[in-house]
Amino acid sequence: MPKPIHITALPPTPEEIARLFPISKASEKALLALVEEFKASHPHREDAPASSIRPEKRRKRASVS
Amino acid sequence: MRLPVPSGRKRGASVPPFPDPVGVFLNIPYDEEFTSLYVAYIVGLFQLDLVPHLAFEIPGGDRRLDRIFRLIQSCRYSLHDLSRVEVSVTSAAVPRFNMPLELGMTITWQQLHPQLHTWFVWESEPYRIQRSASDLNGSDACIHNGRPEEVLRELRNAFHRDRMPSVPEMLDRYRFVHNNLHAILLRNGTTNPYDRSVFMELCRLSNFLADVLRHTPPTV
Repeated sequence: MPKPIHITALPPTPEEIARLFPISKASEKALLALVEEFKASHPHREDAPASSIRPEKRRKRASVS
Repeated sequence: MRLPVPSGRKRGASVPPFPDPVGVFLNIPYDEEFTSLYVAYIVGLFQLDLVPHLAFEIPGGDRRLDRIFRLIQSCRYSLHDLSRVEVSVTSAAVPRFNMPLELGMTITWQQLHPQLHTWFVWESEPYRIQRSASDLNGSDACIHNGRPEEVLRELRNAFHRDRMPSVPEMLDRYRFVHNNLHAILLRNGTTNPYDRSVFMELCRLSNFLADVLRHTPPTV
């Protein structure tokens, strides 16, 4: 196992990525639709709709309040 | 933009420009059996805020070797996957020399400018590299066992950031991109995942997904 390298450089901006990896507008739109699909299937804890919280957790929350 | 001159060199001397600090030259085989690992490298590097580069992404009429060398010079890091340096199964048994050749070019460049480049060797089996390229003895290889999840794990071991996704998070995004590869191939009218336009889309999708992660508060 090689010694790990600590990376501190900032990630490229979206504009830099778009310049490095040019794609058509139609492809970009299709990829952004996929990203929305990904986001919808991976709701973040804070953003998650109430229905996505497991019933036992909802019950626990209710008992606390 | 004027690039800074590396320290320890006289002004006016012929010096190479600093490479892209997040650029990673990927020296991998372009074959069908390698597709899953190819996607894993792309997705994994973007998850670590690094940017993969492949030889075929540069258009131009120059000699291929010149283009590859310029790409190596422009990247701060390179990953050389020697897991498929083997005798081909087609009629004439010819070993695949491209990956070792590009690794040799990289080692020379790094020896001349150690502050400008760092390379890693990747293999599928432990100790195989000692048999295939014994001159590399003393250089530890990253072992992926031919599995995408282990490519992701090894990438995470090789490159450390203060804030990094977990291996399951990386694997989740890898699976999402891999599951959508067929649609990307269809859109680009090809069955070749190493087609330039497919690579561009894989990079853009991987970066979009990395961006989702960048904007997600860290879990406590």
